[in-house]
This record gives sequence, structure tokens and C-alpha cells, in this order.
Amino acid sequence: MRNRLLMLAAALLLVPCPGAAQTQQPPPTQTAPPASPFTGLADIGGLFTTADGDEARYERYRDTRDGLYSSFTLNRDTASYLFDANASHVGYRDQRYAVSYLRRKIKFGFNWLSLPLNYSYLTRTPFVTNGNTLTLDDNAQRAVQGPTNAAADGTAVGVPCAPGAPPAACGTPAQAAQAKAARSTYDSLATAFDLRQQRHTAALNLNYAATRAIDVETRFSSSRRDGQQPWGASFAFNTAVELPKPLDDRTDDLSVGASWANPQGMFRVGWDGSWFTNHFDSLVWDNPIRITDFSNGLPPPNGPFDPSGYSNGNGPVQGRESTAPNNMMNVVSATGLYKLPSRTTLNGTVQFTTQTQDEALIPWTINSVINSPTVFAAFPHLAQLPRATAQAEAKGINTLLNLSSRPVRSVNFTVRYRYNDRDVQTPIFDATEYVRFDSVPEEIEEGFTPQFDITRQFFDANASFTPARWGTVRVGYGHEAVERHGRGFSDVGEHIFRVSFDTYSSQYVTVRASFDVGRRRGEGFVETGIDYELGPGGTQPTLRYYDEADRDRTRGSLLFTVMPSDMVDLYVQFSGGRDRYMADTSVPVNRPGELFGLHESDVTSWNVGINFHPTDIVAVGGNYGRDGYSSLQLSRNANPPPDPTWTDPSRDWTLDNDDRINTASAYVDLLRAVRNTDIRFAYDYSDSNNSFVHGGPRVAALTSINQFIPLPDVENTWQRLTADVQYFVTTRAGVGVGYYFEKLDIVDFNTIDTNGPVGFASATGEPRIDWLGGLMTGYGNRPYTGHTVYLRALYRF
Amino acid sequence: MATTQSVRTARWVRGNRWFACLAAALTFFFLAVFVAVTTPVVVAAPQAPPAPGQPAAGYVGEATCQGCHDQSYKGTAHGHAFNERTPAANLGCENCHGPGQKHVESGDPALIRNFRTTTPSEVSATCTTCHNRATHALWDGSQHDQRNLSCITCHSVHSAKGEPQLKAQTQVALCSTCHRSVVNRTHRFNHMPVREGALTCSSCHNPHGSTNVRLLRAGTTIDESCTSCHTDKRGPYLWEHAPVSESCVTCHDPHGSNNDRMLVSKLPFLCQRCHVTSRHPPTVYDGFVQQNSQNANKITGRACTVCHQMVHGSNAPSGKALLR
Repeated sequence: MRNRLLMLAAALLLVPCPGAAQTQQPPPTQTAPPASPFTGLADIGGLFTTADGDEARYERYRDTRDGLYSSFTLNRDTASYLFDANASHVGYRDQRYAVSYLRRKIKFGFNWLSLPLNYSYLTRTPFVTNGNTLTLDDNAQRAVQGPTNAAADGTAVGVPCAPGAPPAACGTPAQAAQAKAARSTYDSLATAFDLRQQRHTAALNLNYAATRAIDVETRFSSSRRDGQQPWGASFAFNTAVELPKPLDDRTDDLSVGASWANPQGMFRVGWDGSWFTNHFDSLVWDNPIRITDFSNGLPPPNGPFDPSGYSNGNGPVQGRESTAPNNMMNVVSATGLYKLPSRTTLNGTVQFTTQTQDEALIPWTINSVINSPTVFAAFPHLAQLPRATAQAEAKGINTLLNLSSRPVRSVNFTVRYRYNDRDVQTPIFDATEYVRFDSVPEEIEEGFTPQFDITRQFFDANASFTPARWGTVRVGYGHEAVERHGRGFSDVGEHIFRVSFDTYSSQYVTVRASFDVGRRRGEGFVETGIDYELGPGGTQPTLRYYDEADRDRTRGSLLFTVMPSDMVDLYVQFSGGRDRYMADTSVPVNRPGELFGLHESDVTSWNVGINFHPTDIVAVGGNYGRDGYSSLQLSRNANPPPDPTWTDPSRDWTLDNDDRINTASAYVDLLRAVRNTDIRFAYDYSDSNNSFVHGGPRVAALTSINQFIPLPDVENTWQRLTADVQYFVTTRAGVGVGYYFEKLDIVDFNTIDTNGPVGFASATGEPRIDWLGGLMTGYGNRPYTGHTVYLRALYRF
Repeated sequence: MATTQSVRTARWVRGNRWFACLAAALTFFFLAVFVAVTTPVVVAAPQAPPAPGQPAAGYVGEATCQGCHDQSYKGTAHGHAFNERTPAANLGCENCHGPGQKHVESGDPALIRNFRTTTPSEVSATCTTCHNRATHALWDGSQHDQRNLSCITCHSVHSAKGEPQLKAQTQVALCSTCHRSVVNRTHRFNHMPVREGALTCSSCHNPHGSTNVRLLRAGTTIDESCTSCHTDKRGPYLWEHAPVSESCVTCHDPHGSNNDRMLVSKLPFLCQRCHVTSRHPPTVYDGFVQQNSQNANKITGRACTVCHQMVHGSNAPSGKALLR
């Protein structure tokens, strides 16, 4: 409370004093407005599409089904008001509408946007959806459970390599080969469906200019999302399930604000509210390998559940998970700006944020065998929940203060201070006894919900010098201090030094360059255990999370543009960054020098291009870009201590990820270069080679026993060509032809076709849903080629 | 244990948080007053316009300007005379270019404000005489202002090619003149719907200055910006995932990526950057595992998130490890 009062006092210091009296301006003399007709454009015709391969990916965020093509604009511009309306793709899943009205004191706007997200039209699933419950054929579940989990004496009998596909176990290449040859029971039961979701957003905004200085504005938007998305819903290590999760949620946002402004200053207060409502509070789905909740009739700890049920499949008949909970956010804010003499401006903002979520909690488990007095006797904490609702809450205080001053023409300085605080106030939830995968109750010492509070403070100062009209040199320093609760480091500080150079006055050359270095160091490392054997959450103690680890950062950019005349500009752009993460010597671990996690990350980007527009009716241009991303990370494949592999460096392995991308774009605009004809062409190209290369002693050891196969590069090439020709027969009427071509070639080992992982096996374009250890939808990354033609008539009025 | 100066400072500030905020506000205020009092005025601030219909001394009226200059702003937002705040409702051309009498009498172009020859800061000072509210309130000291950009770097009053008063047909085309590498990412295999026209640069960014980092439009942190649309990820959750609470860009590249779900790296390798524990998280997931073991489910399709599907946070009592 005290903090908030002081923050408010600080904000009030920014309230500008209206020194100069506002002169009330009389309204313009009223005269009869001349008659202004409606103007606009009606563009209507047909849309025709053919596509091969992954048609959903071709569409992605669009709807290109054959049918009516439409685009309308309607305008009226009078001496007293302005009206605009437009509509496009009426009746399609990507339809859009907009209306705006501007009068003397009123500005009104309405927008409607429908946005599809098309995942795949090649997906199949044996699940049947009924609300938030997905079920499987009981006979199939019974058949799978029968031969594979017949034993009820507590011994593990293993699970099939794919649900319903023999053999029972899949731990050797021979068994895997047999499983790959056989198909799951569920493969024949799966039916095809279109996997997609849709978002509809309606937004209203109203601004009332009460006086010349005062505005009152309000905005309301409502966004509904429905459809399905690919979602994981698993039971054990060997029963990974991906299913089409149903979606039905809505977000409503309401904003209200009032501002006062004159040439000297501005002050605004506002409130923003946001409500997220999910009509599915949980997801329930059938287990493909069980028709009953497993029970061996034994007393705890050896039963009635299988203590290894989360790995051998002796678990529940159904699973239940929570979905995104209903939540609410409120923000109260104030923003101020005041112009002082000597071109000095002070501006800032303060915001108070409250996020709450108090949804009813689902039970510990849906497993009826575990929900029993027998189990509760051994796990008394599971008899009831510590509390019925989440009671989740986070409060935020956010402040930004800027001072910018140019006391003389050649000198400018800016100082900025930013404060962000996120205070999690959710009461800690005791889950020291919980149920893993709805299969096995467990007791864990560290089973309490974490609270990730974050407080950030950033101070930044810059000074610019313009010794001559040709350019400005800027030097700056920034310091960020971050305090965290619940992470590896409690305090992290980063120093940032920067320099930049910008020209602005030459009509022939523009140069913009910047360079900055940052040095981030942490302290207050969370220590677990006397001998530092385990880090937070059972990690290797020399692991560093790269979002808070000690880091040296270097970044630079250069933009060089030459404009020999008004008709042409040539440019070169470069940007690059290098991050190096390091072990901090301040932590006394018994294995100094090791650093697990991300070691380094580099980014480079080059672009060259030209724009040529010799006249108002001809414009031509092109760009070529080359990007590179690379990273290196270190890990160790080990068992927990006191197993000797935990500290064995021969178990270390690395992953080197490199992505090389070539990008090209070109355009040609000929606007009435041919009589009465507008012609537009554009071509875009992107080619990527993304490699994931394992290395290190562990990989060498696996290779020596023929148990390592390198991953093929993920390669994709994307091309798009658009063309539009409009010919006006008269000044008002014309015809148009549009063409849209898009092609993607892709090889991705993450995608499983009927022959197996693409890249290892040749692609067929047909998904396989029952690959080793899983029952999936078949969603993946597959090639496509698509053509869409628009034929239409245009009428301009 | 050695302690760096930076963390010493952080510790002091943490312990005196309220004092630090108040001290910062007072420092800025008194510094501004000091500058105002001690530094002589070098250039006069733009004058308030006189009452319309009654040209003040030095002003000649718009009709005189149009006798020689055919540039017009009619049909643009500046030309709506029914809006009492526009140049058309006040002094017309001279609202922005200043009094024109001396220029008219002598014909000397140096005797009137020419935005092509004034410094970027003077251009911005002229425009922000009126455009100093709503999305333009925090221009002074913003990232673009610091780099000597001005309003007319991106906007044109007289010869705009796109809305709103842009020098290019679209925002993407305009922003790419400096941020080409970012625009190229929208062509990546996984992307936001920018190239489909459903989103544009200003859907997420406010180039005029903002309350957030990276000139993000909404909120005050990266998470608040992303969850202004992706509200299902907002939480707060019973079980939170630390990098999600920290920043969405720890794992995602919002401009486009060649990895699924716009991740900065592919699964399971992205997760393996932080989850170096025992047993299955740091297993070497390669082609052999994918083709010879039931553990193929940890490298194909959704990889880690086929089990740990509640990766953004879980509200389930048994949601530890984000499994439910």
C-alpha cells in the first residue's frame, strides 16, 4: 500500500501545470456544405483455386475456396463529416469489415476481422468429440488392454510400441521394425477431419473531443475463438497421444480514458479491463490402451495402482487435464507529458495492474482406483484438495519516466527510468502428494507451487552530438537490475554501453550505424544440498538458464543508402548479434568450469536492394537477404546421483543448431504505363537449411555401438508470386485478373509419413498416425503448391 | 564470494524500492526545472495560432500560398475543416509552415519553415504541437527520436502513398526500409499473419514511443503485450513455467521462424537448453531413437509437449511438471 501511494505521488509530480491560458477558438463560420456524392469501388467476381499437397498450409490464415470474390469501399467526404466503409471477402472465413465516421467532435470506428488458422486437411483421428470429452471405441480399448496388460499381479507387462500394435515391448530395433510393419488397431478406426481453428474479432471505438483540449475515448472488443488445435494428452512415457482439442473461448476488452492536451503538455488517465472466458474448463479423453482403471488388488505401496504405471501403461481408463482458466486483468494508468523551455520534454506513465484467476480446481485425478479409501489411507493428502479454487493473483506496478532535452541545437540528451514489478500473490499450493499422469500417486518433498516474482529496474542515459549538419553521434549507457524469486539467481545486473551514428541532411547518402555491448552478471545463486549435487529442480548444479545466466552480448547494425537521384535508391543493411553465456565463478561447486545449457547464440543478417521509380507510373525494386542463426548447447545424459553417470563427463553431448536463410523479393508496378491499365507483380522467395548436429563424447560412444543416427537438415523453400492487372474500359468500369501462386517444399524429420520420418524415408504426403510410442493426428509439415485466380469486374463511382 | 558493482547496486535499489522511485521522479522534475531556468532559450517554441478568420501579423492566408504552390492537403486528415483541431480549420498551410508574409514579399524560400531543411528535432517539435496525445504522447526521448528520425521520415502530408499518411503503400514496405531483416522473417515457414494482411507492424508496435520495451504497443512488459491477444496464456496459473513468466521471447520469435510454433529452436532441443537433469530430459534424441524405440514420441510431432502439453502453465492440482 505504501509503495502504491508513493508511486502515485511520484506520478503526480508529472502533472503539467497549464501555464499559458488556453485561448478558446471560436468554431469555423457555418456555411452550407456543397453536395458531395458517395464514392467508392465495387470489385466483384470469382475466385478459383487448385492446390496439391498440404492445402491447409497453402491457405494457412486465408480462405481460398472457390466462390465469390468481393471487395467494396464506400466513402463520403463532406464539409461536415467523413464516412468510410469497406468490406472484403464477404462470406468467407477471412472476411473483414470496417466502418469509420468522423464528425466535428466525434470519431467512431467499427472493425470485424475473421481469421482462420488452418493446420491440416490431412489429419485423422479415432477420437470422437463430444463437448470437452474425447472418446475411443470401447471394443478397441478392450482388445488392446486384453493381450498386452492381462497380468493383474503388479508386474509390469509393458505397452505396445504403438497403441494396439504388437509387439508388446519396443526396446530393440527388431521389435521396433515389427511394430513399424504392423499397424495399430486405431489406424483403421481413424476418420479424416479438417484440423483448423477460427478467430472472430469485433471492435468498437469511440472518441469524443469534448473541447479543443479534452478527449474522452472508449474502446470495446470481443474476440471469439472456436475450432480445434493439435494437442498433447498422454498417459505414460510410451502412450503419447495427440488429439484435436476443442476450442471455445472468448476475450472481451474494455478501455476507457480521458485526456487533456495543449501544445505545452498532455495528461491522460485510463482504465483497461480484459476478461478471458473458456467454455471448456477441462479436457477429458480416453486412454487408447485401457478399458478399465488398472488395479492389482494389492495394498499400498505396491497397489492397487501400479507404482510403475506412468512408464508401463498400467494406468487409468481416462485422463483429465485443466485447460486455460478464465482470467481477468485490470489496469489503471496515468500518462503525462510536459514541454519545458529549451526543447525539454518530461513524459512518463504509471500503471497499476491486477491479474486474477480463481477457477474451480479439478480433482487430483480422474482415476477411480486412486480415488479410494485404500489409497487415501496411504496418501491422506489426496482425500481432498487443500482449497477448492486457484486463488491465483499477480499485481504489477509499472513506471516509465523520460527526460529529453536539447538545450542547444547540437546537443541532445535523454534519460529514462523504467520500473516493472510483478508480485505473485497466489497462496502456495501444497502438492507434496499428487498423481502423476492420472496413473500413480507420489509424494515429493518439493511439491509446492512456485512463485516467480520479478522486479526490473532499468536506467538509461544517452547524449547526442551534432557537430555538423551531416550527422549525429550518440553515446549511451544503460543499467538493468533484475530481482527474481524462485529462479536460479536472485539478483542479476547488466551494464550496456552503446554508440550510434546517424546522418539526416544529405539527399544523396543516408548512414545509420549502431553498436552496443552488454555485460550481465548474477548473484545469489539458489543452492540445494550440502555438496551441490543437485541444482534447482534436480538439475545439474552447473546448469545455467540462459534467460538469467551470466552473459556477454555484442550487437551492431548498419544501414547505408545511396540515392544518386530522386528516381533510385540502393541500400545495404547489416545487423548482427552475439551472445556468450558463461559459468559464474562465484558459485562454489565441486565441478568448476562446467556450464550446461546454452553456451552461445549468434545472429547475422545481410540485405542489399534497389528501388527504381523513374516516373510516377513505373516502380521496380528488389532485395536479397542472407540470414544466419547459430547456437551451441551442452547437456549430459545421466542417471540421478549417486549413480556415477551423474558426474561422468564422458556422458556429455552438444547440439549445434545452424539455420541459413536466403531471402529474395522483387516487385514491378506499372500504373497506367499501359493505357488505362494498372499492372502489379511481386515475387518473394525464402530458402532455409536448418541443421541440428549432435556431438561430444556421449554421441561418440553411441556411434561406436551403432546406436546413433544423425538428424537430417530441415530444409524448406517457399515461393510466392502475385500478379494483378486492372483494365478500365471507361473511367468508371473495368475488369481485373489476379493470380496468386505459392509453393512450399519441405523436408522435416519431425513429420511422419506412411514411410516413416521424412528425411530418413521418402515423403509420401500421407500422414501415419501410429508411429512408435504414439497415437497422433498426423499433423506435420508437408509440401504444397497452390494457384488462385481472381476474375472480376470493377466499378468506380 | 566476489560481488560485482552491478549487483551491489541492484541490492541497494531493491531494499529501497519506494525511495528509488520517488527519488527518480524528483530528480527528473528538478533537473527539468534547473535546465529550464538556467539555459537560455535558443529557438522559440511554435506560436499558438491566432483566431481563424482574422490573420495575425505575418500570416497571409492559405489562398495566397496556393497561388504558387500546388501541393494540397485537401482530402487528407489535415484538410478536414470540420475538425477544429486541423490546419484546415485554423491557419491552413501556415499552421505548420509558420507565417508566410516575409516569404511572399521576398520570394526567399529560407524565410519560411521548410521541413526538408529543418533538423529532425524541429520537424518533430512542429508536429507534436498538435500530435502530442494518445499514441504520440511519448515521442520525445523514444527510440526513433533518439536516432534522429522525425515525423517526415515516415509520413508525408502532401504526397502520401499509403494510410495513414505514409511514404510507402503499406506499413511493412515502409518499416522494411530500415528493418529489412525483421520483415524478411515474416516470410518464414511459421509466421504471424502479416503477409496475409491480417496484422501489420503497428498491430504490436507503436513506432511513436510507448510505455513498453521494444516499442511494443500494449502493456509494459513483453508478456503483457503478447497476452493482450493470446489471453489464454495470461494466467496467472497454479503452476507457472518460469520462462513464460519471464518473457515470451525466451522461447518464441514473434516475427517468424523456421521452427514450429515460431520457436527459436526446434523441440526437444529448445527444452534441453534448460532441462539438464537426469533420465529422459537430457537423452540424446536422434534418428536412432526416432526409428528404433518407443521414445520416438519425444522427437516426433509435438515432442516434449505431447506429454508436457501445459507448457505455458497449469491450473491442475497434479500439474507439477505441466503434465495435466
